Amino acid sequence: MNLGQEFIKGIYKENPVFRLMLGLCPVLAVSSTVENALYMGAAVIFVLFCSNLLVSLIRSLIPAKIRIPVFIIIIATFVTIIDLLMHGFAPDQHKSLGLFIPLIVVNCIILGRAEAFASRNNPLYSIVDALGMGIGFTLSLTIIATFREILGKGTWKGLSVFGSGFKPAALMILAPGAFITIGLIIGFLNWLDHKKSSQTANT
Amino acid sequence: MRDIPRFAAILMLVAALAAGSLAWVNEITKPLINEQEKGELEIAKHEVLPNAKTFNEVKSEGEILLYQGFSDNGKLIGYVFQAEGDGYAGTIKTIVGIDTLFIIQAIKILSQQETPGLGTQCEEIRSGEETPWWCRQFSGKNAKNIQVIKDGGQIEAITGATITSRAITNAIAEKAVLLQNFLKQ
Repeated sequence: MNLGQEFIKGIYKENPVFRLMLGLCPVLAVSSTVENALYMGAAVIFVLFCSNLLVSLIRSLIPAKIRIPVFIIIIATFVTIIDLLMHGFAPDQHKSLGLFIPLIVVNCIILGRAEAFASRNNPLYSIVDALGMGIGFTLSLTIIATFREILGKGTWKGLSVFGSGFKPAALMILAPGAFITIGLIIGFLNWLDHKKSSQTANT
Repeated sequence: MRDIPRFAAILMLVAALAAGSLAWVNEITKPLINEQEKGELEIAKHEVLPNAKTFNEVKSEGEILLYQGFSDNGKLIGYVFQAEGDGYAGTIKTIVGIDTLFIIQAIKILSQQETPGLGTQCEEIRSGEETPWWCRQFSGKNAKNIQVIKDGGQIEAITGATITSRAITNAIAEKAVLLQNFLKQ
């Protein structure tokens, strides 16, 4: 295990959205615009970082039998803290992310990494895992949002891409558009992997 | 089994630490959040009673019941009041501007936690427009006797969100009747 690998795995090989398929509910909901995706990503990185760090620091103190309730208390507390901080210091962003911030608590990425990694590894590796997963999550969310916002609204991060003549496909902004986009991206990544492995098999 | 007291103690400690940090962050952000709500209220007052230049609080038993709205030459042109109703998932707060005959000028939803895509349509703004489409039908109606069509009135409820629609409508009507009785004294 080296630090570099633990970080990079969250970006591609074990990308939480496209590979581990965790937290798809908020991903589908928040990926309608790039701006929402970036703010949600930042919030998730913060919560993941704090949660992984804390869980790792106290991992020897938590009896295995009660670890899940303890993880959940920790995660829910961090999410509420970031909710309050956003409400106080970034009210406009808080308004648009409104319902989704509390959804981070049930975002399986956070609980998943606490259980699968942070509770079994030291704080340094846990932080690196958190950052890798968080950045991977944000990247995936932004990629999906890029497709959905450009095709569904004609803008990217609010800036008009095609000019006023463009008639956007409203479907992309709604739930079906999210599912279609995610499905196509996962299919594409699987195809890439398949091509790579059949190439190495042939050499 | 002998572990249960130890487990309980650890959980209690974790919960206590969590509660403590939450209380601390809450204290820090409370004044900021209150300031924002005050600012939004000011803007909302002018939005629901656009011709009013100044507002005057009218209190009863220490609570603000309504605001009197005055035009720039000091004439009383209407009132602004807040109404609260239990929606599908929590309290819905509305602010209403009426003229002196209790005819609604405009309403604005201040806060709601309704189901996304259903009840949240009460605040939805269609692209190219500036105000929520569902709220527009309230303008021009008498605040005291608005009801959803299902209850015999004229307000079209949101499809699939009758509870939300009723909550908003009835809260406004009840408050309006209350205020009219208050003002008559």
